[in-house]
Amino acid sequence: MSELVLHDDELDEDCYRVRLFLSLLGLEARRVAVDVVPGGEQDRPGFRAVSPAGLLPVLRIDGQMVCGAGGALLALAHGRPAWLPEARVAFARVAHWLQFAAGPLRATLLMRRACLFGGVGDDEQSARRRAAVGALRIMEDHLARRRLEGGAWFVGDGPTVADIALFPAAALCRDWGEEYSAYPALRRWVRAVRGLPGFVTMPGIPDYG
Amino acid sequence: MSGMREGGWYPLMLSADLEPGTVAGSTVQGRDLAVWRDGEGQAHVWDDRCPHRGMRLSLGFVREGVLACLYHGWRFGADGRCVHIPAHPDLSPPGTIRAAPLRVAECHGLIWASVEEDGPLPEVDAAVWVPVRSLRIEAPWQDVARAVGIPDGHRAAVLERDVEGRVLAALLPVREGACMLHLLAAAPAGVERLHDLADWGQDVRARAEERAGRVFLAGGVA
Repeated sequence: MSELVLHDDELDEDCYRVRLFLSLLGLEARRVAVDVVPGGEQDRPGFRAVSPAGLLPVLRIDGQMVCGAGGALLALAHGRPAWLPEARVAFARVAHWLQFAAGPLRATLLMRRACLFGGVGDDEQSARRRAAVGALRIMEDHLARRRLEGGAWFVGDGPTVADIALFPAAALCRDWGEEYSAYPALRRWVRAVRGLPGFVTMPGIPDYG
Repeated sequence: MSGMREGGWYPLMLSADLEPGTVAGSTVQGRDLAVWRDGEGQAHVWDDRCPHRGMRLSLGFVREGVLACLYHGWRFGADGRCVHIPAHPDLSPPGTIRAAPLRVAECHGLIWASVEEDGPLPEVDAAVWVPVRSLRIEAPWQDVARAVGIPDGHRAAVLERDVEGRVLAALLPVREGACMLHLLAAAPAGVERLHDLADWGQDVRARAEERAGRVFLAGGVA
């Protein structure tokens, strides 16, 4: 594998997904900071030439650019069956959770940004919160069911790339006012992810040292 | 169906949800609590406030059998007394620096705290209770109690729901219009039965929140 390069914003959840996965895999990437705040670099022509939708992060792997967290996670997981199962149904379930992370779960990210940086009215906030809580509950309900059959992870017997894609939304929910006490299954799973060798935090996720 | 005499005891969480050496938060009628389990497996419930700077202790961590605050690392032993201040490692902290412990009981698969008067401990028919799950419900706890069949004025009851076996349902009033519903099944209970009860809990949640005019639907909002 040629040198890995990550075009990255320290405060961005999507970039964190990829930094976390790199660290869990024991891989080093040269990091190039993208000036999102205040520079808005993700919307400038130079960055858009690489990532047409302005998706962060961009990972250079095998000499090619891969943009967005989902693509970057899959590029890193490829050929590692522990993280990306090969059996058809397990593979499809991982794909489902990646789609969920990039779809309904975005409500948690938008809610967090609105709470940290402001800029939306009360009505919009309330609709957004309901969608964000609804998304977290889908994860909570799934993990509660998994536990009844002895499972601790989203798919199969060990952590997969799905757990990595889903992790920041749960770990950062306190930033928009959701307490772990409402999500006991998520709390246990967050603890399990934190216990993985190579785990790293991002700003907003406490480091117990 | 039989109600339980709870006195001032409130069911905070499933015992299974508090692993040894961890701390969690809980809220009883607006009062925030830190719930933690020491190295010997004993559960402790304190007000969720560090005596030093008021930081929430539930955000801290358990090290060497004592609870440490995330803010400045002050450590507190099982009796609530401060045992270590990292900034003054040689100081023996005075006994007046202490967290505020509540009375705790652990039975029927639940962790209970005595929040009001010292009532008798909750009584439930002797059985081994298998944890199903807890659910946050954004609806008044009295409404959820009625819906699942807990007698008026009680927060927990053994329900004879169906021929498959008994269910222990316990409700924690969190704040106005929000509660936690804890569900346990009488042993023996196989995976299928546990899944059925988890589904039932989600159904109870959906109906109670619909009555309360609070619907949480994922998707739809970009």
